[in-house]
Amino acid sequence: MPDTKRQPKQRSLPEAGQMADRVAPFALIVGIVLTTVGFFLAFFYAAPVNGAEVYARDAAGNILRDSAGNALPALEEIGGQLVSNVLLISQKIFYFHMPVALVSFLALAVAAFYCVRFLMTKQQRYDTCARISMEIALVFVICTMITGEMWTRFEWGVWWTWEPRLTTYLILMLVVIAYFVLRNALDDPERCATYAAVVGIIAFVDVPICFMITRLVPSSVHPVVLREGGMSADMGITLVLVLIGMLCVAFALYRMRFRQVRMQERVEALKAALDEE
Amino acid sequence: MATPSTFRQYKTLLVKDVRQEFRTKEMLTSMGIYALLVLIVYGAALAQTSNQLDILQMSGGLLWALIVFTSLLGLNRSFFAEKEQGCIEGILLAPLDRSVLFLAKATSNLLFLIIIEVIAVPLFWFFFLTTTTPAETFPLMVVPLIVGTIGVAGVGTLLSTITMNTRGKDVMLAVLFIPLIFPLLYACVSATTAVLVGGDTALNTFMLSLVLAAGYDIIMVLLSWVLYDFVISA
Amino acid sequence: MNPVLQEIYSTVIPSAPYIIAAYALLWVVLLMYVLFVVRGFKKTEKQIAILEEALAEKEGLNR
Repeated sequence: MPDTKRQPKQRSLPEAGQMADRVAPFALIVGIVLTTVGFFLAFFYAAPVNGAEVYARDAAGNILRDSAGNALPALEEIGGQLVSNVLLISQKIFYFHMPVALVSFLALAVAAFYCVRFLMTKQQRYDTCARISMEIALVFVICTMITGEMWTRFEWGVWWTWEPRLTTYLILMLVVIAYFVLRNALDDPERCATYAAVVGIIAFVDVPICFMITRLVPSSVHPVVLREGGMSADMGITLVLVLIGMLCVAFALYRMRFRQVRMQERVEALKAALDEE
Repeated sequence: MATPSTFRQYKTLLVKDVRQEFRTKEMLTSMGIYALLVLIVYGAALAQTSNQLDILQMSGGLLWALIVFTSLLGLNRSFFAEKEQGCIEGILLAPLDRSVLFLAKATSNLLFLIIIEVIAVPLFWFFFLTTTTPAETFPLMVVPLIVGTIGVAGVGTLLSTITMNTRGKDVMLAVLFIPLIFPLLYACVSATTAVLVGGDTALNTFMLSLVLAAGYDIIMVLLSWVLYDFVISA
Repeated sequence: MNPVLQEIYSTVIPSAPYIIAAYALLWVVLLMYVLFVVRGFKKTEKQIAILEEALAEKEGLNR
C-alpha cells in the first residue's frame, strides 16, 4: 500500500513520518517548558484576584466605622501595594482551565474540518484524522471538566451549577462521547466513517450555539457571572503562555497518536496481503 | 418522462407517510399512551410536594421533558415501517433529490409531534395546573411549542436515519439526540416558563428566548438538510 | 499577624487541596493518554514481529 496517494490537482493525504512528525518532539518539549513557566508565573508573578472586601479593625477585633456608620476598608501593604480585599489563590486554576478548554474546542474544530474533507473526498485517511482529533478533544475536555470542577467547588462552594460555561463544557463532553459510542456501534467501515463525519460536523456547530444560548437566555436563578473588568497584563501574559504551551502539547499528542494509528493500519494491511498469498 | 417537480415529490412522500400512519394510528397511539404514562410518573414524582410548591415555575420544564421523551419514541419509529418492508431501497432507486426525503420525513414527524402535543398539553394542565392560575400571557405558549418541535423534528429525523442502522438503536438515538437538542430545549423552556409565570420582564424573556430558539432551528435544520444526502446514501 | 492580614489570606489554606488536586489530575489525564498511545505502539511492534516470523516461514517453505 503506497504511503502517500498523490492524485493530480489534489492535495496529498496526511501521513505519518513527514515534516510535522519531525517537529512534534520539539513541540512537546516547548509545550512542557511553556506550561511549566506559566505555572510558576501563575503563582509568583500574576497578581492574586481580589475577593470580598476586608474592613479595618481595631485592637479588639471590632470593625471600625466612619462618622456615617459605613465600615472603613482596611489598607494593608503587601509587596509594595495597598490591599483591601481577600486575596484568592483558587483563581490560579483559571490559568490552566481556560487554555485547556480552548484547546478542546480547537480540537473539535480540527475534527470537524477533517470530517468535511472526508465527506468531500471519501478518503478513509481523513476519517482517521478526524477520529484522532476527537480523541484529543476528549482528553482535553476531561481536563477542562476536572479543573473547572475544582475551581467551582472552591469558588462557589458547590460541586455543580448550571451556569453557561460549565453546561457548555458538559454538552461538549457528551457530544464527543456520543461520537465514540456511535463509532463503536457501527460495523461497516464506510458507513461508520460517513455517519461519524456527519455527527462530528453537527457537534461542532452545536457547541457554540449552546454557549450562546445558555449565556443569552435570561434566567433569574442563575445569573451569568461575568468576571469584572478585563485582565491585567501579567495575568494576560501567563494565560497566553500556558495557552501556547497547551497547544504545542496537544499538537504533539495528536502527531504521536496519528503515527501510532498509521503504523497499526500499515501492519494490518501487510497482514492481509500476506494472508492472501 | 420528466421527473415530477420537487414540490410534487415532497407532497407525495408526505401524503404517503401521513396516510400510512392514519391507517393504523400505531405510532400516534403509542406516543399518546407514552405521554400519559410520563404524566403519571410525574404525578408520583410530585406527590410529596407541599402546597407551597410553585408548580407554575416547574411546568415549562416538565412539559418540555415530556415532549423530548415522547419525541424520542416517535423518532425511533419514524423509519421503522420503511426499513422493515425494505422500502428504503425502493425510494432511493427513484430519481429523487435525497433532501426531499428529509423534508418529507421531517414534516411528517413534525405533524405527528404536534398532534401529540395538542393532546399532551391539555392533559398536563388537567393533571397539574388546575390548582393554579397561569398568567394571562399563557396562550403565547403555542409559539415556543411550534418552534421547538420544528427543531426537534429536523435534527431528530437526521439522527434517526443515522441510528437506524446501528446496534442499540433506541439508546443510540437518545445518546446523540439529547446533547445536540439541549440548547433548543433550554431556550424553549425559558420561553414557556416566562409566559406561564408572567411578570414584568416576561415578554422580554419570551421574545429573546424565542429568537434564540428560532436561530437554532434555522441553523441546525439547514445543516441537517444539507448533510442528509450523505447519510441516506451510506 | 494582625487580624486584617489574617482575613486577607484566609482562603489560601482551605483552597490549597483543590488547587493541587486540579493540577495533579490534569497531568495524570495527559499522562494516561500518553501511556495509552505507547501501549498501542507496543502492540503494533508485537504484530510486526509476528509478521516477520510468518514471512521467514514462508521463505523457508519456498526454498
